[in-house]
Amino acid sequence: MSKILGVLADSLLAGGLYATMAYGLAVIYGVMRIINLAHAGFLMLGAYATLFLFTRFHIDPFVSLAVVLPAFFLIGVALYLAVVRRLPRSGATPSMESLLLLFGLWLVLQNLAYAIWGGDTQSILTGYTMKSISFGGVRVGVPLVLVFAASAMSLLVLTLFLKRTYVGKAIRAVTANRDAALISGVNADRISATAFGLGTAFAAMAGTLMSTLYAFTPDFGRSFLLKAFCIIVLGGMESAAGVALGAFVLALLENVMGAYTPIPTTFQDAISFSLLVIVLVLLPQGLPRLFTRISRPAHTR
Amino acid sequence: MNARNRRSAAAIVLALLLLLIAPRFLERGTLNDLWSIAFAIVLASAWNILGGFAGQISIGYSAFLGIGAYTTALLSLKGVGPYWTLPLGALLGAAFSYVVGLPTFRLRGPYFTIATIGVSEAVRVYAAGVSYTGGSSGLRMPPGTFDFGRDYAAMMILAAAVVLLSLWIRSSPFGKALFAIRQDIDAAEALGIHSTRVKLVAHAVSAAIVALAGGLFAINFQYISPGSVFDFRLSLSIVLMPIVGGIGTVAGPILGAIIFSYLQIKLLSTPALRDSYLFLYGGLLMVVMLFEPRGLVGAWQRLQGLVRPPMRKAMPRA
Repeated sequence: MSKILGVLADSLLAGGLYATMAYGLAVIYGVMRIINLAHAGFLMLGAYATLFLFTRFHIDPFVSLAVVLPAFFLIGVALYLAVVRRLPRSGATPSMESLLLLFGLWLVLQNLAYAIWGGDTQSILTGYTMKSISFGGVRVGVPLVLVFAASAMSLLVLTLFLKRTYVGKAIRAVTANRDAALISGVNADRISATAFGLGTAFAAMAGTLMSTLYAFTPDFGRSFLLKAFCIIVLGGMESAAGVALGAFVLALLENVMGAYTPIPTTFQDAISFSLLVIVLVLLPQGLPRLFTRISRPAHTR
Repeated sequence: MNARNRRSAAAIVLALLLLLIAPRFLERGTLNDLWSIAFAIVLASAWNILGGFAGQISIGYSAFLGIGAYTTALLSLKGVGPYWTLPLGALLGAAFSYVVGLPTFRLRGPYFTIATIGVSEAVRVYAAGVSYTGGSSGLRMPPGTFDFGRDYAAMMILAAAVVLLSLWIRSSPFGKALFAIRQDIDAAEALGIHSTRVKLVAHAVSAAIVALAGGLFAINFQYISPGSVFDFRLSLSIVLMPIVGGIGTVAGPILGAIIFSYLQIKLLSTPALRDSYLFLYGGLLMVVMLFEPRGLVGAWQRLQGLVRPPMRKAMPRA
């Protein structure tokens, strides 16, 4: 029983982190129909920025978010204005040019990290890295709890932002129907810039949070990028709630596989990558669409 | 084959003959460089059959290279003559391409590309985890299997064959079907093209060629590991060469391959540049996508268009 609870707790905590990681990808896809492969690069740079602030100024990783988030938001906006805006506009499906351009950007970011920090594995050790606390017999690591709290808070703030502010509403409007949003007077260029900044900031935030949990190299981020894809495809690509659901499902699958099957942990990533392909092929519209299809009688489909 | 193709084919055969007698005149170092260039041309041109002609951009070709290389290494260790293992490697590469293609070809455009990243990463993680690939320490080919002259000749012939094949495909009905799929897959289907079948065949042909190159790679370097043949960077450079040269053309991948192997040879010899190849690759990719998505061939055509009016309209892009 406590094993089941442990697996559930781990999945929930990891799910929060995964949701933060995947949301950045989802918002850029939703607004611009661009698949941002550079996401992995920003994630990695977020981790390194935190490392820099930690080693140079002894700023706690969670406090460093106050610097990392605005900085990467600005970097994202600048990149949008300088590079991404020049691409031919993607239609209903993302264009190959945008995919490959951002792929190139990812490589450049990786090389930047190699040039500055070298290829050695880095990690951030704080006073609470090794500590754990127990909730009703289930032991969980303190960093994981803090990461979950930060993720949950950010997703809450994000939801409020999307629901209450003009820019948030505009982002949702463009995601839902670009043309209708334009007709209603939404400045698509400004919204796209904001969305790109937001996506970049969320990627960096995920990187910061991960730097407290995992060791990292400039190559860090590739496996998480694929997981993030898996999540947004599962979650139906567009809504924040869908992303959270997809994140939890992926984390649950990983933890269940780790706890109840004899598959060695070295193959865990292979499982989530295969899952990505399976999900893309079988559930191209994600779990929400599956639920609506099941819950509706056949003749109204 | 039209007159233009016949001229190109004659030029390729002539170049092949020159390259085959080259070992009599050139130094070993130069021949090694020629081997690398031919290897790059094989990979780029083979990828271009699916990625360029049919517009299905796959970032997962290292899987096929690895399958070819491991087939050759594992069977050679069992005592089979290394060159006899090549057909089997090609067959296995094609078979795996079928397994990968059957589900993923339901996806279009960027979704297909992402699925191929997933597949190749899964293969890489798997290959690094199982014992028969030698794990991180890799496999060494048995002694007595190394013969540079033979491997050099085989690689030159393979490169010429791949380019000739590309020329033939470009003017064949099969090639026309691939072009139709790139431009508009729904319209192609409406014209009676069985798009999945055509894509599967193109995938299998290019995978088999890449697996052959993988076998020759194993023989030439005598040592392989999952880190060297299943590497993501390898998949990456296979994609970059045709894109920089000019995707979907016959000359583009060759041009891209020559430039990339030259850069690689230069990079390896200058320590200051060795650590900046990602910067170079990524920067090139960004520049090409921003300014001329049709690559060097496209830039050349545009330049020609400035000098004299275009002979015919450029092919609309997918």
